[in-house]
Amino acid sequence: MSNKYPYQILPFKHVRFNDHELLLVNEAGDFYFISIDDFDKFIGYGLPKKNDVFLDLKSNHFLIDTNIAEVIDLLSTKYRTRKRFLNQFTSLHMMVITYRCNHKCRYCQVSSEDSGSYRWDMSPETARRIVDYIFCSPSDEIKIEFQGGEPLLNWETVKETIEYAEQKNKKSRKALEFVVSTNLTLIDRNKLDYLKFHNVYISTSLDGPKSIHDKNRLLRTGGSSYDLFIKKLELTRNILGPDKVSALMTTTKDNLYRITDVVDEYIKLGFDGVFFRALNPYGLAAKNESLHYPIEEFVKSFKEGLKYIIRLNLKGIRFVEYYSTLLLSRILTHFPTGFVDLQSPSGAGICGVIYDYNGDVYPSDEARMLARMGDKRFLMGNVFKDTYYEIFHGKVMTEIVEKSCVETMPGCATCAFQIYCGADPIRNYLETKDIVGHRPTSDFCKKNKEIIKFLFEIIKDNDEDVQDVLWSWITKRDLKEIRGESFSRYSNQY
Amino acid sequence: MIKDIIIKIEDNKLLIVLKKELYEKDAVFSAAYKFTDKCVILIEPIDPFSIGVYFKPKSDPKDVDLEKIAEDYCNEVLDQQIRLDLEKRYGNIRELIVRHAFLPISNLKDKIEIE
Repeated sequence: MSNKYPYQILPFKHVRFNDHELLLVNEAGDFYFISIDDFDKFIGYGLPKKNDVFLDLKSNHFLIDTNIAEVIDLLSTKYRTRKRFLNQFTSLHMMVITYRCNHKCRYCQVSSEDSGSYRWDMSPETARRIVDYIFCSPSDEIKIEFQGGEPLLNWETVKETIEYAEQKNKKSRKALEFVVSTNLTLIDRNKLDYLKFHNVYISTSLDGPKSIHDKNRLLRTGGSSYDLFIKKLELTRNILGPDKVSALMTTTKDNLYRITDVVDEYIKLGFDGVFFRALNPYGLAAKNESLHYPIEEFVKSFKEGLKYIIRLNLKGIRFVEYYSTLLLSRILTHFPTGFVDLQSPSGAGICGVIYDYNGDVYPSDEARMLARMGDKRFLMGNVFKDTYYEIFHGKVMTEIVEKSCVETMPGCATCAFQIYCGADPIRNYLETKDIVGHRPTSDFCKKNKEIIKFLFEIIKDNDEDVQDVLWSWITKRDLKEIRGESFSRYSNQY
Repeated sequence: MIKDIIIKIEDNKLLIVLKKELYEKDAVFSAAYKFTDKCVILIEPIDPFSIGVYFKPKSDPKDVDLEKIAEDYCNEVLDQQIRLDLEKRYGNIRELIVRHAFLPISNLKDKIEIE
C-alpha cells in the first residue's frame, strides 16, 4: 500500500441512477448507491476513514486501505464463480426433430411445415449421430431438448434418441436430462407412460386466456387449440406429475397489454411461474407486423406484470417471474445462471447448441431460425461432414467468442450493468448485419438496461416483504420459510 | 456557462467545443457513440487546444431535442473522462483480478503494482 493516498480505489463502473445518486458496481458484481457529493469525495480521496460511506465502500470492495492481495483473491474468486458457465461446455443440446407441425401459429419463428411433409423429419440415423457428438461435450451435465415443429409428430426418432443416449450414458455417467418442447395436443397415455418411465420433462406454450391463446396459436385443422391444450395438460400432469410441466409465453401485441390476465391464467392452470419474453423477430414473427410493438411498451408491461406478481406473492400466492429471477440472481448473488443471452462471451454454442433435422449445427435456436429465413451465416458444420472439433472450434464459434465479450463491446465496455448482462450476437447480426451490433439502437440493450434499472429501484426501496419475495424466488424456497414465520404485514407499494 | 460550450450553428446543427487538456479522445468518442441512434456526429479538431463535436439529427429535426442531447452529451463525456481517470488508477488491478480468476498464481504480492 502506497502512502501517497489514504486508500486504494478498486475497479468499478458507475451510472447516474437518479438526479442525486450514482450506482457503483465492482468487478465481482457487488453494488453500492452513493450520493454525488460522497462520490466526489470518494474519488478525490477525501472520505474520512471512520465515515459510514467509507466503511460501506470498504466492506463492498470498492476501496481498500489494508492488505490488497486478500481482496484481489476474493474478487477473483467471485469473478471466476460468475464465469463458471464456461466450464460446462456445452450442456444444453437442442434437436430439431421435425419441422412438421399440427399448428400454424401466426408468430411461428421457424415457419413450420404441414403434418404430411415428412422430408423435414430428422431420421433415427441422424439422431444417433447427433447423440454421438453430444457425448463428445466435456460438460458433466447434458440436457437434450426436443424441438420442432412439433417433435411428437416424429415420435420414433424421439424414442430412438432417448434410448440411444441412455445407452451411451451407461459408460459416460453424465447427469442426463430430456425435455420435449411440445404444444401437447398430440400427447396420449402411451407417450406419457413412456416419457414418465424415462423421466422426461415437458416444456409447452401458453399465451394467456383462451381468447389470446386461440388468436395466435392456430390448429391447422381448425378449432380451438386452447381447449385441446387444457385437456392434454390435465392428462400430462396426471401421469407425469405437476412439476414435470412448464410453459413459455410468446408476447405479442395481443397479450402485451393484458399481462395481468396472462399471469392469472398461468396461476389458474397451476403453473408456478411465467417468463415474460419479448417477441423474437424471426420467421413469421418478423413478417407479421400486426404482432409487433416497441420495446419500450414491452418494458412497461414487464414492470406492470412484475409488480402484480410481487403483490400476489405478498398475498400468499407463490408465483415466480423467471427473467427477473435470473437477473436478480446475477445482481444479488455471485452464482452463474445458465441463460444463453446473459453471458459474456455469449452463451451461444457454449451454454447451448442446436442440431437441425439434417444434422446441421447452429449455436442457438435464433441462429437456426435465421437459417430458415435463408441466411446460414452461423452454420457451424454438419455432424456427417465435420468432426466435433471442427464444429465447436471452427470459424463461427471462434468469431462469436471473440466478438461477444461485453467487456470489450462498444457501449457495453463502460456500462455499469455489464456484469449482470450479456451479448446476443445473432440478434445483433439480424439487426445490423454485424455480430458486434450497435447498442444505441439495440432493443436487447434497451430492454435489459431498463429492466435491470427497475430491479435496482426495487432493491433500493428496501421493502422487507418485497425483498423476502425476491429471495424466495432466487433460492427457490417458500416465502414463509424465507421469513422463518407466517407473515402478517404487507407492503403497500406493490 | 454551458451556452459557451454548446454553439448553435444552424437550425438543426449544434457544436460542442471541448478543451483537449480536460477531455481525452477516448472519452469524447465513447460519449458520442451513445447518441448515434438519434444524431449524425462529427468529431474534429477546432484548433490546437480544442475539439469540436458536431450534432445533426438523423430524423426530422422537430422530433429531436438537439439541445437536450447536447446537454446530456456534456454529462456523458464527463462520466467517460472520470472512467478513464479511474481506469488509470486501478487498471492493473482489474487485469489482475481477471488473470487471477482464470489462472491462480501463488505469489500475488509480486504482481501488485499500485500507486
